[in-house]
Amino acid sequence: MALSFPNYSSSSPSNLPSPSSFKHHQRTTPSSILSSQNSFRHRFLKWVSIQSAKNQNLNAVCMQEALPSNETLKKLKDRSLPFAPPEECGNVVGFSTGKEECTVSITVVGASGDLAKKKIFPALFALYYEDCLPKHFTIFGYARSKMTDAELRNMVSKTLTCRIDKRENCSEKMNQFLKRCFYHSGQYDSEEHFVELDQKLKEHEAGRITNRLFYLSIPPNIFIDVVKCAGLSASSSNGWTRVIIEKPFGRDSESSAALTRGLKQYLEEDQIFRIDHYLGKELVENISVLRFSNLLFEPLWSRQYIRNMQFIFSEDFGTEGRGGYFDSYGIIRDIMQNHLLQILALFAMETPVSLDAEDIRNEKVKVLRSMRPLQLENVVIGQYRSHTKNGVTYAGYVDDKMVPKDSLTPTFAAAALFIDNARWDGVPFLMKAGKALHTRRAEIRVQFRHVPGSLYKKSFGKDLDQATNELVIRVQPDEAIYLKINNKVPGLGMRLDRSDLYLHYAARYSKEIPDAYERLLLDAIQGERRLFIRSDELDAAWKLFTPLLKELEEKKITPELYPFGSRGPVRAHYLAEKYNVQWGDLSTEHVHG
Amino acid sequence: MATCSSSSFISPSSFNNDPTQLPKTLQKGLLLPIRRSNIPLLHIHSNSHLRKQFQSKCSNGYPLNAVHFQDVPSTEAEAEAEAKETTISITVVGASGDLAKKKIFPALFALFYEDCLPKHFTVFGYARSKLTDEELRNMISRTLTCRIDKRENCSDKMVQFLQRCFYHSGQYGSEENFLELDRKLKEKEAGRLPNRLFYLSIPPNIFVDAVRCASCCASSATGWTRVIVEKPFGRDSESSGELTRCLKQYLTEDQIFRIDHYLGKELVENLSVLRFSNLVFEPLWSRQYIRNVQLIFSEDFGVEGRGGYFDSYGIIRDIMQNHLLQILALFAMETPVSLDAEDIRNEKVKVLRSMRTLQLDDVVVGQYKGHTKGSKTYPSYTDDPTIPNHSLTATFAAAALFIDNARWDGVPFLMKAGKALHNRRAEIRVQFRHVPGNLYKGKFGMDMDEATNELVIRVQPDEAIYLTINNKIPGLGMRLDRSNLNLLYKARYPREIPDAYERLLLDAMAGERRLFIRSDELDAAWALFTPLLKELEEKKIAPELYPYGSRGPVGEHYLAAKYNIRWGDLTSDDS
Repeated sequence: MALSFPNYSSSSPSNLPSPSSFKHHQRTTPSSILSSQNSFRHRFLKWVSIQSAKNQNLNAVCMQEALPSNETLKKLKDRSLPFAPPEECGNVVGFSTGKEECTVSITVVGASGDLAKKKIFPALFALYYEDCLPKHFTIFGYARSKMTDAELRNMVSKTLTCRIDKRENCSEKMNQFLKRCFYHSGQYDSEEHFVELDQKLKEHEAGRITNRLFYLSIPPNIFIDVVKCAGLSASSSNGWTRVIIEKPFGRDSESSAALTRGLKQYLEEDQIFRIDHYLGKELVENISVLRFSNLLFEPLWSRQYIRNMQFIFSEDFGTEGRGGYFDSYGIIRDIMQNHLLQILALFAMETPVSLDAEDIRNEKVKVLRSMRPLQLENVVIGQYRSHTKNGVTYAGYVDDKMVPKDSLTPTFAAAALFIDNARWDGVPFLMKAGKALHTRRAEIRVQFRHVPGSLYKKSFGKDLDQATNELVIRVQPDEAIYLKINNKVPGLGMRLDRSDLYLHYAARYSKEIPDAYERLLLDAIQGERRLFIRSDELDAAWKLFTPLLKELEEKKITPELYPFGSRGPVRAHYLAEKYNVQWGDLSTEHVHG
Repeated sequence: MATCSSSSFISPSSFNNDPTQLPKTLQKGLLLPIRRSNIPLLHIHSNSHLRKQFQSKCSNGYPLNAVHFQDVPSTEAEAEAEAKETTISITVVGASGDLAKKKIFPALFALFYEDCLPKHFTVFGYARSKLTDEELRNMISRTLTCRIDKRENCSDKMVQFLQRCFYHSGQYGSEENFLELDRKLKEKEAGRLPNRLFYLSIPPNIFVDAVRCASCCASSATGWTRVIVEKPFGRDSESSGELTRCLKQYLTEDQIFRIDHYLGKELVENLSVLRFSNLVFEPLWSRQYIRNVQLIFSEDFGVEGRGGYFDSYGIIRDIMQNHLLQILALFAMETPVSLDAEDIRNEKVKVLRSMRTLQLDDVVVGQYKGHTKGSKTYPSYTDDPTIPNHSLTATFAAAALFIDNARWDGVPFLMKAGKALHNRRAEIRVQFRHVPGNLYKGKFGMDMDEATNELVIRVQPDEAIYLTINNKIPGLGMRLDRSNLNLLYKARYPREIPDAYERLLLDAMAGERRLFIRSDELDAAWALFTPLLKELEEKKIAPELYPYGSRGPVGEHYLAAKYNIRWGDLTSDDS
């Protein structure tokens, strides 16, 4: 391969199909080369320094961290406009000559699948629209179906949208974007086909430094095949190669570990980007900001002031005929062990040394390892049954054609978890996740303790629980943060009221909030690993749930049935009551303007 | 000041028949009123139903230890008990004055409209001008309004209220005239157990005269007698001490109700609720987390031709030493044993006594000057016809105060009050410290001060509470934003918020003293300000001039900067 940047040739092994060629040298890129060419480096790195929105150490070749001079410049710029509207990922400053440029090739493996169509391509387009992709990039769809580039573009174009607030030039941008999309048809386990893909990629990369991102949007049983083929036959020879995979990461400790072992035959830890799309959600991203940049919250963040935390996820629809995958996993694996547990870890972890990915993930692992494995008696499971309302009949879970009639798979689960460390000893962390419930909602509730020796005890009536403070972070729908406080009802009496200090995102931020996949794809391209799950994190998470999951299956525990569209099994309340807690999503909260 | 020692022939004790001293068992319906004087015991029928209604609707939830709010027999069957009913006579002394017209009568009407007055009550206006009852009613009726949300029966209610209003003309220092008043009051009281409330809406130099006459000739023989006085309570420690001494010749401490109408404001009342009923605030309430506290008061108008009174007092006496200092005390006091008035006032006195006396170099004074904006010219303070041309009276002041106790050592409490500024506002701002070892330091640019949390309690206009927090700006970057967790009263509570005077009048009638200033509190407050005020006058410190309608003198910023603080009202964060 003709390298446009000769200095790299020494650090770049030949294209021998050995695992080591895939375990790329991005970390060993001689920094002396870069620092010896300062003037070049200036231009070379400029776009990244402005665009790398998170100021993390990006250890990718083309994405070095910002230079001091640029940093200063940026600060100066920021000072004049300290809280100007976000520029998203900044302006991408292209490179002056093609010689020094690099390019990113994004291959969506499983391009004809649902996730690819609904989420990945639209997210890539949104990034493109926001000028967050580098100047040179190529998108490849890879799947078994025979398709032409035009057919892929046709398919992709149906799901692209522009943000509501940015309709300008939308169709123009779409056309430009689609021109960068190509398709290659091949088997997932055929090295030959991946070699063909490699050739096509090289063509588009046109001699630039090449970075390659593979998004595996395929069933988990072929993960390893694809990683093997991509690793051997289509990895970048002079840039980085990264692979994004999405859940399920196994179904218990053993299978997860086997998957990790399989991946690591062909990939280094820092090439694996395990996506948990909940971590890309705006308000989940905001958790660390809230905790660590406000003096108000951190002093309260312990067993001394927090009585319990609740992580609530509900969907108002069932499996809708696509229960095949779900039935072999169930709601605990599908939602709790990953999404909710990840949020919990972010909430409960100690303060990290820095915001670097490794520091944050270290703290997450620590808190996960401090947790008690789930006990059967601290879990309630449920399964929805059919329900007829106003003449409409909603199908039960086992009515789904893809689901065995005698399935015991839970579609609802509630659990109480405990962290046995100094900060959280004795504080229940309640989780609740379910399908076919009455609302669609994801929220985090922090319930504070009673005021000790409250002077206003009498003014609250009998139920002191109604008088505790609560911090609610509503992840979806209708993003919001609010803090329930007690205040006096205006007027001549002395009645207390629980009202909200409220921040409604839609009111404060008129811009559309980007989809979680945009954030995560951008991070993967930039080598920012903060929101991706490291292998040891995954191990720790499975360790908590595996014994319970096995026990449920071995003992054939029957889930409590609940009607489609209801609030879920009643036993969830008994679980809460056992720890003297009330689910916070029951109180009727007034709707905010 | 009138002499207060010689002319008295009535001993204070004859005035001391305040039934609020009754044991609390009475509240449970025991029929045992006790008076300190030797009048036979009266039986009081407790009507728990009505009492309950009164409490839930109008009381502020504290034990009402006034006897007579308990029993208002309502049925004919209880006609026999009629004679034992109580009545309240409210005499507004200085009825023709501005305050009476604008605040007191409307507040009384609002209480009547809300059914917060007892069944039997009489309102008397007392002043020197010759007026008939009809003329008084005419005068009052012009200022009465119904709450926006309660227009129903409004004019009916007004007529009923005005029928209870009467007028008596007399001199403020004439015992004879007060005797006449007493006879008229007795007539209206019709043999019921009378409680009497005097509202002194008169200049301070005749306070003592009026109190002397009221106490000797018009105090209630069998019920309680209370006197409400409003600022100024003297102009320094000595004169205030003198006034208190004189009042106490005729009144006991618990008959004196010193009003500070700021304490009746909704959000000031709410301050204790916020602090003591929310776990999220109290742990933060100390020097460990709070960097400074700011108490800000501004008016967007000047003295407007009525500077006579103001010029001899100035903004420090007029706003700071009372309103702002009272709020500060409520804010900074330790947790009281209970919500009882004496417990709260004990804590307030403690915190005031822990404060450092104001130093001249911690104070900035200003005076507004004329300013022409567009085609309109706003006059300067000294242009006012009622103001001497060489007046050095401060119309603006900023000060840094310190509380030398364990909780607040080293935390500056900044106060700022001014007339003729660019807006009208009263607010409390609590600025929290920086996050120690902030992980997000790099995200805030150079100015970490922009990134601290702030709790703002906006007392007026547009009551609100908001908490400034840092959060991430939604989007693909990682930029932080300072946004507000917001509670806007207007949005949450569509009902009109009662005027401070309603609350305070109601409390005075109910004998609830929490929001009134005790003599030792007043002494402690004056002790903080008197040396400074004397120094300002003796050294003839010239105030810094600032244009009418501006943000005030620049000196305030230097004062804040000296303590490494920025005034919080500069950022445009009106939400």
